[in-house]
Formats: sequence, C-alpha cells, structure tokens
Amino acid sequence: MRCTQVPLSDIAVGQSAVIVTLGITGPLRRRLFALGMLTGETITVRRVAPLGDPLELEVKGYRLSLRKAEAGRILVAPRA
Amino acid sequence: MPTLRVALAGNPNVGKSTLFNALTGARQHVGNWPGKTVMQASGTFQVDGLTVEVIDLPGAYSLSSFSPEEAVARDYIVCEQPDLVVDVVDAANLERNLYLTTQIRETGAPLLLALTMTDLATQRGLCVDCHALSDALGGVPVVPATAQQNGGLAALRTAFQRWATGETRAEAPPPFDPPIEDAITTLAAAIATQPDLARRYPPRWLAIQLLEGDEELLGLLAAADHAPIAAALAASRDRLRQTYGDDIDLAIAEARYRQARAAVARAVRQPATPVVTFSERVDRVVTHRILGIPIFLALMYLVFNLVQNVSAPYLDWIDGLFSGPLTRRAVALLALLHAPAWITALTVDGVIAGVGSVLVFVPGLLVLYLALALLEDSGYLARAAFVMDRALGALGLHGKSFIPLILGFGCNVPAVYATRTIENRSARVLTGMLIPFMSCSARLPVYVVFGMALFPQNADLVIWAMYLVGIVVAAAAGLVLSRTVFAGAGRGAFVLELPPYRLPSLPTVWRQAWQHTAGFIRKAGTVILAVSVALWLLLNLPWGVSDPRDSAFGRVSSTLAPLFAPAGFGTWQAAGALVTGVMAKEVVVSTLAQIYAGQADEAESADTTTVGDDLAGVAGGFGLATVEAGKRLLDTLTPGVTLFPEEGEPEETVLSQALRMAFTPLAGIAFLLFVLLYVPCVATIGAQAQEFGWRWASLSLVMTLVLPWTVATLVYQAGRLLGAG
Repeated sequence: MRCTQVPLSDIAVGQSAVIVTLGITGPLRRRLFALGMLTGETITVRRVAPLGDPLELEVKGYRLSLRKAEAGRILVAPRA
Repeated sequence: MPTLRVALAGNPNVGKSTLFNALTGARQHVGNWPGKTVMQASGTFQVDGLTVEVIDLPGAYSLSSFSPEEAVARDYIVCEQPDLVVDVVDAANLERNLYLTTQIRETGAPLLLALTMTDLATQRGLCVDCHALSDALGGVPVVPATAQQNGGLAALRTAFQRWATGETRAEAPPPFDPPIEDAITTLAAAIATQPDLARRYPPRWLAIQLLEGDEELLGLLAAADHAPIAAALAASRDRLRQTYGDDIDLAIAEARYRQARAAVARAVRQPATPVVTFSERVDRVVTHRILGIPIFLALMYLVFNLVQNVSAPYLDWIDGLFSGPLTRRAVALLALLHAPAWITALTVDGVIAGVGSVLVFVPGLLVLYLALALLEDSGYLARAAFVMDRALGALGLHGKSFIPLILGFGCNVPAVYATRTIENRSARVLTGMLIPFMSCSARLPVYVVFGMALFPQNADLVIWAMYLVGIVVAAAAGLVLSRTVFAGAGRGAFVLELPPYRLPSLPTVWRQAWQHTAGFIRKAGTVILAVSVALWLLLNLPWGVSDPRDSAFGRVSSTLAPLFAPAGFGTWQAAGALVTGVMAKEVVVSTLAQIYAGQADEAESADTTTVGDDLAGVAGGFGLATVEAGKRLLDTLTPGVTLFPEEGEPEETVLSQALRMAFTPLAGIAFLLFVLLYVPCVATIGAQAQEFGWRWASLSLVMTLVLPWTVATLVYQAGRLLGAG
C-alpha cells in the first residue's frame, strides 16, 4: 500500500508514523541512526514542549527529543 | 600480581557511573583526558589477588565522532586496546543499547556485557534471559550488574576473574550483506598495506567507518601516501551505490540493528500490555504545556536560594578561619623563624588573604553542584533543556545553555566549565560569552554596601534592579552576537534523550559534585594566588610606601581615574577599587573600605590566643555553621514561612558615610552598573581561555570593558540631563 508522505513535524501528538526517508546528512545522520531513527522504524509523537518546540518522540521504547526543524526533514508515513 | 585493564563503555544514562563507583569505591583518580575537556575517571579494585584497573569511558551512543565524548571512548577502545571492554547495557532499553554493542564487536575488542537497570525492566514487565542474550551475541558473556543490588556486582567480579584466567573469546560478529562485506574486505586489504594506519586501527573496523563516511577518519586519507586507499574507497562506494543508492551508511546501520533486534527477540520477554510508567506520569506534570515553565523557574529559584542560604554560614566560617587563627599562626611561626617583615606581609596579606578569597566560594559551589548533580541524576536536567530550548533559541542559544547561565548567578567560573555539556561549539562559546553578565554572588556585597549607603529606603529595589539589568544585557548581547559574530553558525541540532526518572544515587551525586568543586579549587586557586601576590607587590612598591595613593597601585589608579569621569566616578579610589575588583568582585568593597576607612578594620587585638583556643574556636565555629546551615535549609524548603528570623540590623559604618560623601546617588548607580557588567574576575577569563581559547577570552574581555563603560556613562549623562545627581 502506498501511503502519503508527510514531515514528522506534522504528525499530531499521540499519533504514530513510519520513517520513509531521513533527509539529514553528515554526523547528525549517523547519530540519528545510532538512536534508532532508521527507515521503516515506527515512531510516536508523545508531547510538544510548552513553547511549541521541540518534540518528544517515542522510538524503540525510549524517549527522544528533536526540534521541529530537524523533524521537518524526516519524511514519514502516518499510521492509522 | 597480574593486572586486568578494563574499560567501562556504554550509552549515557545507563548507570555506568554508579557501577564504576560501586566497583572501585574510594580508590579513584579523576582528571581530564589528555588534550580534551572530557573528564576521565579511573580506579582499581582487587579480586582474589587480581588487580583490576577500571577506566570509566564517557557515555556514547555509538563509536562515531559526533561529540568529543564519543571520540574519546572510540579512541580508547580502538587504539589503547584494553584487556577487556565492559559494555554497560540498560536492560529496560536493550535494543538501542545493543547498537553500541554491535559496534564494539566490530572493533574486535574483548567484550563483556554488564546488564544494569534490571529492576526498572522488571517494573515494566520485561524479563531478560542472560544466557539467551549471550548466545544471540555469539557468546559474549552477559552478567547482570545492577549496582544497587550487591549480588549483581559479585557476579561481575567473578566474571573478571574468569576472564583473567583465560575465558573463551566470543565469535566474530556476523558479516554484513555480501556487497558491503566484499567492499570491506577489499578496503581492509588496502589499509593493511599502510603500516601507519594498520598499527593504530584494526583494518576491517577502519574500512567500515570509511564506508559509513566518518568525517574525522576520512581526514586520515588526505595524506599523500594514502591515495591508494582513497581510490579503493571511491571505487567501492561507486559499486555499492548501484545497490544502495546514497544509503550505504543506512544499510550498515540497519545490519547492526537487525542483530540487536534479533538478540532482543531471543532474550527478552515483553509484557502483554505496555505499562504506563512512573516517568510518563511525572512528565505529564513537569513538561506540562502551562505548568512546565513555572515548575522549571521555581526549581531554579529553589536551587539558587539553597546555594545562598546553606553556604553562607560556612562562608563566614572559612573567612573567619583565614583572617583569624590561620593568620595568627602564620605570623607566630614566621616570627619564630625570624623571617623579615616583608615575607610576613607577603604571606599574610598576599598568600593567605588571596587563597582565602578563593576558598570562601567553595561551600557555595559544593551546594550548587550537589543540587545540580541531584537534578541531573534524577533525569530532570534533560527536561529543563526540553522546556527551555525554544525560548533560548531566540538568543542563538541551546536548551542546554540555561544551566550554565543559572550557574553564573552563583559563580561565573564553574558556569563557564558547565558549558561543556553543549555539543554545538558556537552555542557553547556564545553561552560562555554571556555568562559574565549573570550577576555572581561576589557582586552582591557591592550592591548591598552601596544600596545601604546611598539608597537606605530602596536598597532592595536597587539590588533586584542590578540582577534584572544583568539578564537584560545578556539577552541583548545574545541577540546581537548571534546575528553578527555567530551569524550563520547555527546553534546545532537538539537531539536529546529524555531518560526515565529515577532516584539519584548519592555516592554518584557526591562524587560528581566534589570533582567539579576540586577542579575549581585547583584551577582558580592558582590564578588568584598569582594575582593576589602581584597585587600585594603593586600596593607595596616602591618598598616602604605608607600612603596607598603613592604606591605603584595608587599611581596606576590615578592615571586611570580620568577615564571614569564621564561616568561620574573619576576618583582614584573608585578606579583603584575597580582595578582590584578584577581579582574578585567582592574585593571592590574591601578596597574601598581600606582606602576610605583608613584600614580601621585591621586593628586586630593583641595575640593572646593559644593554639588550643584556636582549634577549639575553629571546630566550634564549624559546628555552629552547620547548625545555622541546617536552619536555613529548613527555611528554604518551606517557602513563605520564616522559621528562624534574621537577628539585628546592619549598622551604619564608616564606609557608608564616606561613600555618601564621595558618590552622588546617580554616580552610585553608574558605579554599580559598571561593577555588574565589567570583567567578572581573572578566574573567569582564565576559564574562558581554557574552554574556548584566548581569542574568545579576549573578545569577552573587550566586551566586558567597553559595554560597562558605555552603559555607566550613558546612564550618568542621561541622568544629569534629566536633572538628577
């Protein structure tokens, strides 16, 4: 099934999505790999910081915080 | 006796430091990694005649060069070849932790897994089978080692012993996909022909890193004689691009996570329904949309108050110890040795007074570091960065900048060192440039004395205004610097794990706080000692000078005085106080007191006390200080209720009368603004130079000379135009 791709920053709190492409290069890309942000991984947006940024994500059972700027470069397929 | 050299590796927040403490106890040595601002801790312990030396590597998510910490951990494992690498692994977060494990296996280092947080895993309904995990990882031994449970450590100690007596090694890690494995083999063969590389790095490991595109290691290929490797790498990448496109690094990372997932699938029994964790419930409040920021500010206010209140009695005790008994004993001893008068004067007024002026900060710092270590170990500091990142972004700062800035209110020196936690260099340096505008506790005595003398009705208001002006100037400087000097530099990505909350381990908290405090004593102590001796010389040259105005110091001050005339305080006394204030801000007050009050406070009573009296006095004083600190701790923790009211009112001193004669209220305000904003102290400049280099320390110096002069002059002249002063 083909899904629509949206930036991770557009996913609502409580929603889950599957990573399609990680549009990030350089050392940060390898850091995100090490943290489990790989293509095909399911992530859930858990919370937004009080001032609207950054995001709190759940990936591989732990909590990771990313700014919307970086999350906007990660394309995901929302899960129903 | 045989020695086993063991390196402790692992992700951040897995209880590695707690394990290190539990293993080595007090037999630890702490310093920096050579040439790095990364803390290195090592220690030893004995198991049945075997000496085990443990090196606590910095926490790392991977063996790449993303941060200085990870580079240190990688270089140690790969280049120093420890006898054994113990990978500390969080049982409650196994899959992600095993990513680092697979990378360590790639280095070929002898490996053992220590499983921590098994209690947390159990709470979450997870059950980890150590034998199955070991099998899934090709026979790497897996030992449960939750430090709080002593049984776990016994198993780890036995494992070390078995290892030293010839434990079987684990199998090599499984191969990557065939195309990648072929490329690795070709590249490794090319690397093996270059002795300078092959000696330092395992060829196969280096080949993997090069294919992944590690910038630091790719830099090695720039050397001319490594051209064949660069060519082989380019050819391999071209071939792999046909299969993987631009995702060669992704394919390698996926292969590692496949191993990790397979191991978890074999060894971990998951709960049927996910448990809503304690952490999640806490976070619903602490990072709440509306409550999050107030909670953060309240916590910082509490920490700040603790530092001020709990440390003050000890501060008085140390001050008394140095100016009283210690000075008396030194004088007596030097008299016994028939030392010339100048040696006595140098020892008492230079060395003892100088060292004393550093040590009075120690109680405050220790309390501050204890509070911060508690917040960090509990998991709150990561939330503070999460909550504050957006607000600080407007100033070009990072979420993690907040802690160093808050620390600056206590003392600027440790605040500068605390910027280390910010990975991005420009955000780190910018934070370090703004710290001097945080009004440190040494500036408070100046505000108090001037406020009491010139604005007896509104002293509190003046003091609070100073703190506020400091924050406003820091924000303005941040806005300007982030758009000029740091323009386009970016503040770095915000990639931060929010670890589960947990009860802090007190030995770990204490060790961390003490390490930082001891570091301050060592570094600041040397600088301040040197400067106080130099200042003493300036005040006493030409030799035998009686009026401070005629000393070298007085002449320098007189020369500088006209510079301050536009700001309303162009007297040599004010200039002199500001010059000595560069050593430490509270010295401004003591210098003014000495000059105006004609050294009235030096009329020490004749020395009739005995060593016994002094010892009793010192011990009794410490007891009293502890009682007082206890009272204040209770007061601070029960806001709004004053359990132990302050006694007495500050009396009218010679100094305040003199200040009223010398300063108009407007000139006083201009002087206080100058004190707030100018060079915090030599120790801060030294710390900035050490952390960011002399170029940045010089910029900070220029900024903290030009800005205060401009602000003080503007305020004074504007006030005059409006008819004040």
